[in-house]
Amino acid sequence: MTRPRTRLATLVLGAAVATAAFAPEMAFAQAKPEITIDLVNEPSSLDPHGQWNPDSYYVYRNVFDNVVTRDNEGNVVPEIATEWTRLSDTEVEFTLRDDITFHDGEPLTAEDVVYSIERITDPEFGSPQLGQFDKITGAEATGDHTVVLTTDGPYPVLLAQLVKLSVVPKHVVEEVGAEAFNLNPVGSGPYRFEEWQRGVSVTLSRYDDYWGEKGPFETAVFRAVPDASTRMADLQAGTADLVVTLDSDQARQLETSPGVKPLIVQTERVAFLGLNTTKPPFDDPQARKAVALAIDKEGIVEGLLAGGEQVVGELASPAHFGWVDGIEAYPYDPEQAKELIEQAGAGGTEIRFATSPVFDQRIVQAVQQMLSEVGLNVSIDLTDMATYLQKAQGPLADRPQISFGRWSCACQDADGIMYPLLHSSSNWSRYQNTEMDALLEEGRSSLDEATRLAAYEKAHRIVRDDVAILPLYQAAIIYGARDGLQWTPTANESLFLNRMSWQGE
Amino acid sequence: MVLFILRRLGQALIAIFGVMTLVFFIQRLTGDPTYLLVPETATQADIEAMRRSLGLDQPIIVQYMSFLRDIAQFDFGRSYVQRIPVTTIIASRLPYTLQLAGGALLVSFGLGVPLGVVMALWRDRPATKLLTGFVFASQSMPTFWSGILFILFFAVWLGWLPPSGAGGIENLILPSFALGLLSMATFARVTRTAMLDELSKDYVRSARARGVATPRLFWRHLARNAAIPVISVAALEISQLLAGAVIVETVFAWPGLGLLTVQSIVSRDFLVVQGIVLIGAFVTIALNFTADILYSVVDPRIRLDGSRP
Repeated sequence: MTRPRTRLATLVLGAAVATAAFAPEMAFAQAKPEITIDLVNEPSSLDPHGQWNPDSYYVYRNVFDNVVTRDNEGNVVPEIATEWTRLSDTEVEFTLRDDITFHDGEPLTAEDVVYSIERITDPEFGSPQLGQFDKITGAEATGDHTVVLTTDGPYPVLLAQLVKLSVVPKHVVEEVGAEAFNLNPVGSGPYRFEEWQRGVSVTLSRYDDYWGEKGPFETAVFRAVPDASTRMADLQAGTADLVVTLDSDQARQLETSPGVKPLIVQTERVAFLGLNTTKPPFDDPQARKAVALAIDKEGIVEGLLAGGEQVVGELASPAHFGWVDGIEAYPYDPEQAKELIEQAGAGGTEIRFATSPVFDQRIVQAVQQMLSEVGLNVSIDLTDMATYLQKAQGPLADRPQISFGRWSCACQDADGIMYPLLHSSSNWSRYQNTEMDALLEEGRSSLDEATRLAAYEKAHRIVRDDVAILPLYQAAIIYGARDGLQWTPTANESLFLNRMSWQGE
Repeated sequence: MVLFILRRLGQALIAIFGVMTLVFFIQRLTGDPTYLLVPETATQADIEAMRRSLGLDQPIIVQYMSFLRDIAQFDFGRSYVQRIPVTTIIASRLPYTLQLAGGALLVSFGLGVPLGVVMALWRDRPATKLLTGFVFASQSMPTFWSGILFILFFAVWLGWLPPSGAGGIENLILPSFALGLLSMATFARVTRTAMLDELSKDYVRSARARGVATPRLFWRHLARNAAIPVISVAALEISQLLAGAVIVETVFAWPGLGLLTVQSIVSRDFLVVQGIVLIGAFVTIALNFTADILYSVVDPRIRLDGSRP
């Protein structure tokens, strides 16, 4: 009975889809004056030195230029600095563009770059980004457009960090002070700051004297929309053109809705299970190996997340310097895991899995279940994020026996995540191994790429053989966009308006 | 009357002091905001530097004393996260919360009270069953769910109203209904009960016997007498609206204090939370005070010292 009706519905639906698909073709390549982007929260600050979170840098990276940047393939390429030469092991000279102007018309000079570096590295200023730049001990303008940076020892990650160093105008910040600058930021980027309606939106307008690639939209509005279902509704209702942070179910929903599409990219964020190797039962390498075998990584990535994540066998991703091909993740072998746990006698020990609601609880519960199935006694300790972080960075003996994390250093260099997670001196590390320490120090201080790569390869092998930590997968992020938006999201979770374009509608 | 007001003012000050002290210490028991401010790769030295620059390295008693000193001078401090004065942040959000609370109150009061009256006067008609069903449904739907349904239905499918955000009056409609329907049900129920209560009294029967028409009876007698329980509930319900706004504002990306509260609690932005709680305490106390005054206006038998003759 229902057959003919279904067929009719299909026909009507097909016609509707065909019309919808045809409509944009007619209005081909029209300029779009305004783009509306839904973020999760409003930026906490538009002073690029004042804050460190995606909702802030999604916006301010369009207002400010950085010393260098990464292209869509992930290579470090010139932005403010056109070239750089190493003067000695600890000194690098940067030559700057001479045609950059701030939005107030003043030229950007070496003084501004020096000022920006001194500002962000001043402990009194209290920038949350201090840790990313505190290896820089000196910045000196040696000409109008040359700057020499001095580092505390040879520092191979300098360029990768400078990708995030936004340059602020010295004359404006000194004149108005940090607070007024945050309310009315002046940069040199492709978009200038227009208006900040607290809690509602930030509006930027195109800077027509920009030295580089100009933005395709006259204005850009960034709104705060905390609920993911509401962001989806905004996109489908056409009140937003681009939305951030969706999950894989929502991505599939976008695939089947007309006029919208998901944009998925693998990031430099690496997910892992951390084990406290100084406390029972995981002070026994056999018990750690059992965990590695008990976790069905493919199952988590394909069954649970299904958003383009990739299983990794090392604590890095292909987006990192220091990624080594061919280090396989442990296979899923619960039978062998069971045997190892029996041999190690680890079944009776109570294991507390510390976590907070910020982390994907589906994964936390799946891991708990997989570990219980092979005979471990795991209970979940769910606390708020501040409490969790305090514990995770507390005294070594108090750090969680097991925890789940997803880390990015926003520098695409293995040093950024491996050193803090595995070096015995770090307040996150739950692993003590002098050989590992030496390799990580070599990776952090050698200026020779081949030497560094060799050190990380050895470190990856130790991670695998000793299960110092259990790498799980390279995380993906999902954006939703209207069909007209042409944009390639990148691994470092940036959102550069001047790398977008619009077709149709 | 003056004595009454002075005494209530004194009580209000003590209540606010108590609330502020409680919030100050409870927040500080729940963790250290420094860890949330620095990137995960920060070293212990970075964390220490951050903590010093926020003044969180001081002993808690020293922090508390300087907090009291600042509050006494109406200085609410600066947000750890946004690095601007708390008053600026709250002042930018407060108008939106007032708009939403106003819209929701209009829906709940404007719909709930007439519904309650109709349900009482027509209690035997079959149409009342439908109304009762509507009231039950409104009361049973959690706002996070009804909010999403409203968005899907009115914004995505029908395209009549914007799905989220703040702006014109059209942005206010959906969140006002999502928030207001819940208290609407309470108003309707309380009004209905109060009306039925009055309707069964002797003076109503004798008035009817004397041939007083229902509209006149309603406006002259019933409405006034039934108003007392409704006013008590109103004071409670407005505080409830402010609490419910937390969820509705999140769903509709409405930039009011509710949304700010959630974000500030999550990021342990102590000073912002303290500012919001202070306002909340103040509003609740002011509402109860207004309700007390209104009692005596509506029913002169009630004296302000609280004793009924």
